[in-house]
Amino acid sequence: MSGALPLWLIPALPLAGFLVNGLLGSKLGKRFVSATGVGSVGLATLVAWSRLLPYFSSDHAPAVERVATWVTAGRFTAEIAFRLDPLSALMTSFVTFVGFLIHVYSTGYMHHDETDAGYARFFAYLNLFMFSMLTLVLAQNFLLMFVGWEGVGLCSYLLIGYYYEQPFAPAAGKKAFVVNRIGDWGFLLGMFGIVFTFGTLDYDGVFNAAAADPARYAPAATLLSLCLFLGAAGKSAQVPLYVWLPDAMAGPTPVSALIHAATMVTAGVYMVTRCNVLFRLAPDAMLVVAAIGAATALLAALIGLAQNDIKKVLAYSTVSQLGYMFLACGVGAFAAGMFHVMTHAFFKACLFLGAGAVMHAMSGELDMRKMGGLKSKLPVTYWTFLIAALTIAGIPPLAGFFSKDAILAATFEGGSGIDKVLFGVGLFTAGLTAFYMFRLVSQTFLGSFRGTPEQEHHVHEAPVSMTAPLVVLAGLSIVGGFVGVPAALGGSDRFHAFLAPIFLSLAGAPETGEPGLSHATEWLLMASSVAVAAGGILLAWKWYAREGGRVPERLAAAYPGVYALVAEKFRVDELYDALFVRPFAALARFCWKVIDVLVIDGILNAGAFLVELVGDLLRFLQTGNVRNYALSFLLGVVALMLIVIGTF
Amino acid sequence: MIGSIPLSDVLLASAALFVIGLAGALLRRNAIAIFLSIELMMNAANLALIGYGAALGTREGQVAVFFVIAIAAAEASVGLAIFVALFRHTETIDVNKVNLLKW
Amino acid sequence: MERLIFDAAAVIAILFAALMVLNRNPVKSVLALVVSFFFLAITYVLLSAPFIAAIQVIVYAGAILVLFLFVLMLLNVQREETPEKEPRPIQRFLGGAAILVFTIGLVEVLSGKGAAPGPPVAALVSGGRIGALARLLFTEYLLPFEALSVLLLAALVGAFVLVERERRA
Repeated sequence: MSGALPLWLIPALPLAGFLVNGLLGSKLGKRFVSATGVGSVGLATLVAWSRLLPYFSSDHAPAVERVATWVTAGRFTAEIAFRLDPLSALMTSFVTFVGFLIHVYSTGYMHHDETDAGYARFFAYLNLFMFSMLTLVLAQNFLLMFVGWEGVGLCSYLLIGYYYEQPFAPAAGKKAFVVNRIGDWGFLLGMFGIVFTFGTLDYDGVFNAAAADPARYAPAATLLSLCLFLGAAGKSAQVPLYVWLPDAMAGPTPVSALIHAATMVTAGVYMVTRCNVLFRLAPDAMLVVAAIGAATALLAALIGLAQNDIKKVLAYSTVSQLGYMFLACGVGAFAAGMFHVMTHAFFKACLFLGAGAVMHAMSGELDMRKMGGLKSKLPVTYWTFLIAALTIAGIPPLAGFFSKDAILAATFEGGSGIDKVLFGVGLFTAGLTAFYMFRLVSQTFLGSFRGTPEQEHHVHEAPVSMTAPLVVLAGLSIVGGFVGVPAALGGSDRFHAFLAPIFLSLAGAPETGEPGLSHATEWLLMASSVAVAAGGILLAWKWYAREGGRVPERLAAAYPGVYALVAEKFRVDELYDALFVRPFAALARFCWKVIDVLVIDGILNAGAFLVELVGDLLRFLQTGNVRNYALSFLLGVVALMLIVIGTF
Repeated sequence: MIGSIPLSDVLLASAALFVIGLAGALLRRNAIAIFLSIELMMNAANLALIGYGAALGTREGQVAVFFVIAIAAAEASVGLAIFVALFRHTETIDVNKVNLLKW
Repeated sequence: MERLIFDAAAVIAILFAALMVLNRNPVKSVLALVVSFFFLAITYVLLSAPFIAAIQVIVYAGAILVLFLFVLMLLNVQREETPEKEPRPIQRFLGGAAILVFTIGLVEVLSGKGAAPGPPVAALVSGGRIGALARLLFTEYLLPFEALSVLLLAALVGAFVLVERERRA
């Protein structure tokens, strides 16, 4: 299509925004920075949608656009090339749009507190993030994807540590980066393995080869999939690499919304879905993925029950929902997983931005116990937040219901004992999700106001720049599910059909697709999930909104040990500290004090000492007396002569 | 005429002169005496050179001696100049007393 | 016959050299050395190097040693005093031992050579002795010859510089 704008333009526009704002922004004032930062992403969104709209109505053939050759080494080549296929189109569609909304929101949120330099820095990093994320999703090979992968990790670190003058934020940024690194190590091992096995990093090269000859590649696929999943677990905060995400809440709230809810953390799910061919060749790896996904969902939901910081609750909720996505991938329902990625982007971003509006109104307060009664004071925030909360709880006909139900149905459909267990975990966690979300809603918006008088005085609705994105996202939460209505409810599940080309057919491997359950079973499942969700909502509403939290307090007092364990996140961070951090610090100290100071410096100092010693001894030869020197000459000549005579 | 002087005689004489010069250079304290001993050593070498030249039937020995004498002249003049400068400073010709470059 | 003359001249030269080393008076040392050089010149003649013998007398004995005498007179150098402090025993021992070893080694080496006299060389008895020497100097050894003139120039300048008295401003 000669008239179409090139794909590389989509990530390039935010990159340009980053350069301009980064280099010049601090000198040009907030208006300019806003225009550049939001404008670059807006333009990128327009360019993206100019390609996506025709694509959605076309035959969905993948389009590959080559820009340049990057690496040529022997028989291995890697190119800078971009790919437009159903999966990348899907990701691009909401990454650009939700990113744009959050950029708009940020102009309002970050305006008051920041200096011009800080404001420019924020938008520069945010643009850099958009560039990295779009590179990640539009890449045609693993190498370019990894560039984006690392880029989002870097931006995450930069933005978490945005308030670098506080002690906690930079530490949280470092933690995120280091934990991500462990995952990246797995990703790199996976990439090396792919090169070794397939000889290329190009998607078409790898996946077409694997699909064409499953028997040959199946043994390697298990190891490759596990390595790649390690990378995904790091980026998408799964057990055991999730510990960075709650701490990442130290960053500004728009960052939490964009990076740690809607886009970056879903990169892992995207990657697993992109590599579905490899995973499907390795059922053991899929089992690991599903199990970890379910375990993470449950663990995070449990921890979220006892958190009092509004952003922490949402953070653990994100971890939990990511677990659902991996559960879907693990049971083979990659499309359901991606569906949940999309709906999650809508409602989680809405929740985070809403939390930001609440914080904005409450002069920075984060503790839910000190809020309450904000429903009447912040109507727009309340209603959008409520819609998003209902969505995540899985109430029909909101988007979350369809996506979560697709996952649960696919899990149940598996039929084996493990699948039933996973389903049970998923269902139970759905109930927990509904409960803790409405605990949050009740404590924050309902009941009576529990804050200080000055806070009450300052409470006001957020500006339009902040409320408009909330409304849009809430709207998307309402309608977003209708692209994936399953057949059981009379829909055609266009979403699943759209993504079908991604799933190359393998000879003799398990099929992904619509659950093969009967419609009756599906209705039963749907009913049970709605019931569980409704139960959670009502219980939370009763305990927190109506009774002001007295029952939970009594429960906590009755079982203090259990409560402390949950409230302190099951002490996982402390465990990691003891297992890994301290030994590492001890090792580093050893390297420093012993190896560096004693051994290396010691050797050098000993060398210098030796030289000094020899010099001290040799100086006695310099007597100043010429005759001694003459004698030395003679002795030397005599020695030479003896040598000469000796050899004769 | 040359044929009747054995080379060993020449070399013995040269050796004797050289050792005498060496002893003088090492054992005297007078700077002038040391100089003279060095000149003696060079002459001993000259004798040996000429002796070998004659024995091998070539004039190159004499060429070498030619150069040695010229160089000895240059060296003696510079050495004496140093000696004069030194003597002006220290008023002594005892080399033992010139030991400022001591450790 | 020539051997006798040679031996006699050599012995006398050695004798006067020993005198030079042993005498305490610097002037007497120089004079002894002059005599020694003169007798060395005689040996050079016997070894078919008359030009060198002439040079030895004119330049070495006649110029260089006279220069020594000039300096001695100029600075009014006295007799050498007896040493008030003995050099350290180790030095004397080392020096004596070194000289002894050196002598023995020298003799050892040289006695292995030239037991038989070399064959007579026709060119040497012919008339063109100086000519042949000059031919060598100006063809094969031209570069060292020219470098030698530079060396003499350097020595000349150096001697001047070294004895320059400090200018009082």
